[in-house]
Amino acid sequence: MNSQFIAFFTIFLIHTNLYAASMQYDMRVDGLACPFCAYGIEKKLLKTEGVNSVDINIEKGIVIVKTKIGVSFSEHQLNQLFHDAGFTYRSMKQRELR
Amino acid sequence: MRKLCLSILFLTLNACSWFPAQQEEPYQLIQTWGGFGDAPGQFNEPFGIVVYQNSVYVADSRNSRIQQFDFNGKFIRAIGPPEIKKSQLDRPMNMTIRNDKLYVADFWNDRVQIFSSAGSFIKSVGGPGDEPGKFNGPSGVAVDSNGNVYVADFNNQRIQYFNANGKTLGQLGETGEVGISSDKFNYPTDIAIDKNKLIYVTDGYNDRIKVIDNTGNVINKWGGPLAINLSGGFNGWFRVPSSIVIANSGEIFVADSFNNRIQKFTSNGKFLTSFGLSTKGPRHTTVGVAVANDGSVFVTDHAHHQVQKWVPHDRQ
Repeated sequence: MNSQFIAFFTIFLIHTNLYAASMQYDMRVDGLACPFCAYGIEKKLLKTEGVNSVDINIEKGIVIVKTKIGVSFSEHQLNQLFHDAGFTYRSMKQRELR
Repeated sequence: MRKLCLSILFLTLNACSWFPAQQEEPYQLIQTWGGFGDAPGQFNEPFGIVVYQNSVYVADSRNSRIQQFDFNGKFIRAIGPPEIKKSQLDRPMNMTIRNDKLYVADFWNDRVQIFSSAGSFIKSVGGPGDEPGKFNGPSGVAVDSNGNVYVADFNNQRIQYFNANGKTLGQLGETGEVGISSDKFNYPTDIAIDKNKLIYVTDGYNDRIKVIDNTGNVINKWGGPLAINLSGGFNGWFRVPSSIVIANSGEIFVADSFNNRIQKFTSNGKFLTSFGLSTKGPRHTTVGVAVANDGSVFVTDHAHHQVQKWVPHDRQ
């Protein structure tokens, strides 16, 4: 699961469109019921190329990912990413960081 | 008709055991210490906690260190400072102490770190992976009277055990396989071992406790009806149990993390009482639990970055 997760994320980053800005994604995720899970997904995201920082609010079930400059994700890609990691992705808000 | 009556009788009798009454008064909160920060005595998401002699050791998880206190919360020392690479910790979780050695589940580094009770680094066991002897997110650790080390290998869905020299002896559960049957786990979070070498596992996402003998047979389990992954807030039920400890009396204390409470049981799983902060606040105010010989119960409050000290009602 881990290797699939990282490989998938790395491949799509190589093919993704490049932007001049970094991005912030606020994602609502089901299944974040304990710190173990939060730490687990945080570790996986931080290992992924293009991810600059990860903040997790367990209480609200929200994962906030900030990317490095020029990296963006599509909603489909994020959906697949969380599915592969064992979580149910619900929704996403995104904005550019300048 | 007779079968129907017997079935109803069976369900009624079982239903009584599924909703047990409180047998003891709840414990009383007498002290908290800590608060958010990285200074000595402060915490950033404390998790594991263990009592040894006159000290309380707290896994200060996001600060990547263990902090040692006396029973009144006076800071003694920090263990696992980041400037020494081999003794580094990253998201330390549940811990245990046996024979003057502190065993730490080093969650992000996929290993168990072993220190002396005074904080000197001794050695590491494990490394990342799912092969025998490797871990994927070790979350809890216990040591039996022979010095064998049992590790809850959270993301690998198994318990691995080693001898005192770190040689792999075997595992419980199937690597990477989640299930509700007795032989499987669903993200095991912690372990405790009693004087009879019975292994108590908090089977986290199955919302139950499993008791396993030293031949690997499950001899008891509890947590909701039939202990088959039915979660809830009733007495004796769980929502993601995250830590377990056995008192000298043999009684079992479980941190029922998503229910914001500690539950106390007899050694065979009979519910006795529960206690914790108000459920109206944030979740995860009771993630780790330890018991002193005098009956005081120390609890890590992940949400408020503090340690709680509770005592039996009649001792207040």
